[in-house]
Amino acid sequence: MQGLEPEIMSRSRSGYEDGRKCRPEKPHANHLCPNENARPSMAEDASYIEKTHAPKKLVISAALSSIRTVFHSGRKRLAGKLAGRGALALTTAVAMLAAGPAEAHMGTGLPGGFASGFLHPLTGFDHMLAMVSVGLWGAFLGRPLIVALPVIFPTVMAFGAFLGIANVPFPPVEIGIGLSVLILGCAIAAAWRAPVWAACLIVAIFGLFHGYAHGKELPSAADPIGFAVGFVLSTGLLHVAGIGIGLLNDRPGGIAVTRTLGGLVGVAGLYFLATAIFK
Amino acid sequence: MRGGALPPALLCAALGLALSFAPRRIYPFALIVLVLGALAASFLSFPAVWQDGLFLGCWASIVLAALLIHLPGGIGAKLALAVALNSGFWAGAVIATAGVKLDLAKALPLALLCLPGAWVVSTKRGIALKVVASWLIAVSILGAALPLVPTPGYKPDHMD
Repeated sequence: MQGLEPEIMSRSRSGYEDGRKCRPEKPHANHLCPNENARPSMAEDASYIEKTHAPKKLVISAALSSIRTVFHSGRKRLAGKLAGRGALALTTAVAMLAAGPAEAHMGTGLPGGFASGFLHPLTGFDHMLAMVSVGLWGAFLGRPLIVALPVIFPTVMAFGAFLGIANVPFPPVEIGIGLSVLILGCAIAAAWRAPVWAACLIVAIFGLFHGYAHGKELPSAADPIGFAVGFVLSTGLLHVAGIGIGLLNDRPGGIAVTRTLGGLVGVAGLYFLATAIFK
Repeated sequence: MRGGALPPALLCAALGLALSFAPRRIYPFALIVLVLGALAASFLSFPAVWQDGLFLGCWASIVLAALLIHLPGGIGAKLALAVALNSGFWAGAVIATAGVKLDLAKALPLALLCLPGAWVVSTKRGIALKVVASWLIAVSILGAALPLVPTPGYKPDHMD
């Protein structure tokens, strides 16, 4: 926004330097028009109305009114012009009917609340694979870690987010996240029966990295608490999904399946790590 | 927007989970204490500068209620009443300073989670409640941390 201010200020003082009427390239820039006499075209008006959620009935009514004016006017000289305007209005009305509703906050840097937070871990494969892997590894290790890991991870993740919000210096986050996917995947693939303290420590450290990444984005949400509730819930459900996959271990051949899945996660982790290092 | 009824609702949910591990005979008394405490606090007037402190108290109370779930042997009757009073006060105080009275009607019913929660505990699956409680702790930590930085989400917008 700051980059646009000099241009806007310049227009408000002197208008367009090349003598154009106020016909901005982007329809939604109509309100920046420096020349009050320069009437925006009907198409521009209609576009602006669309952006401001005007009811479609109003637009249709305006179009019909314009057409009626054409047919009832006795002045043949004006009939051509008015017919053109009527046709334009009709076209606009059809376009209005075909258009979807305007989406508020699009592209403003404010991703929203609960829904955005809930989708956030699901849209990043690195986060998603790590969360599922925590549940899967917990299921592989059995009690008490099947419960301890899903409890520890979100709690420590919140501390990581706290560090991110407070802008505390932190090691390269993307490398940490890539490493988390790699190590968790390899631990599952190798069927590593880690001691309780080691498993808790590993998951806690990785939780810090994932939380830090979330925390850096959290303050820019339109509804930060809703965003936080969404992504914590989503994270927890991904753990539960991992535990659900881990239930395959009780079936014949199930362990081979989960270990294969762990191997695939490890390969993905290697890719994420390489991308983070060499980008 | 700063969450509206959400922080008190999460507090009542945490209390409901905590009460799941308390004796059932205490439920009516704890719920009455919660409602009375919330109503009383919602009619108090707090200085505007206390807002951050009141929200912090609300988040801390969620963590407290969620941590009590992990007490070995469950929660005693007196402790349950004390937690209910504490939760009611902070829920009412937050609504008094940054909400509308109607938000109480949205938040308080979540304390009734103690009823299905008690059933879950009785079927030896209380561990699921502990997992959910850890999610509430995570949200509370984040909620408490957010005022550390000026965030656009706390500025009044078209929803306020």
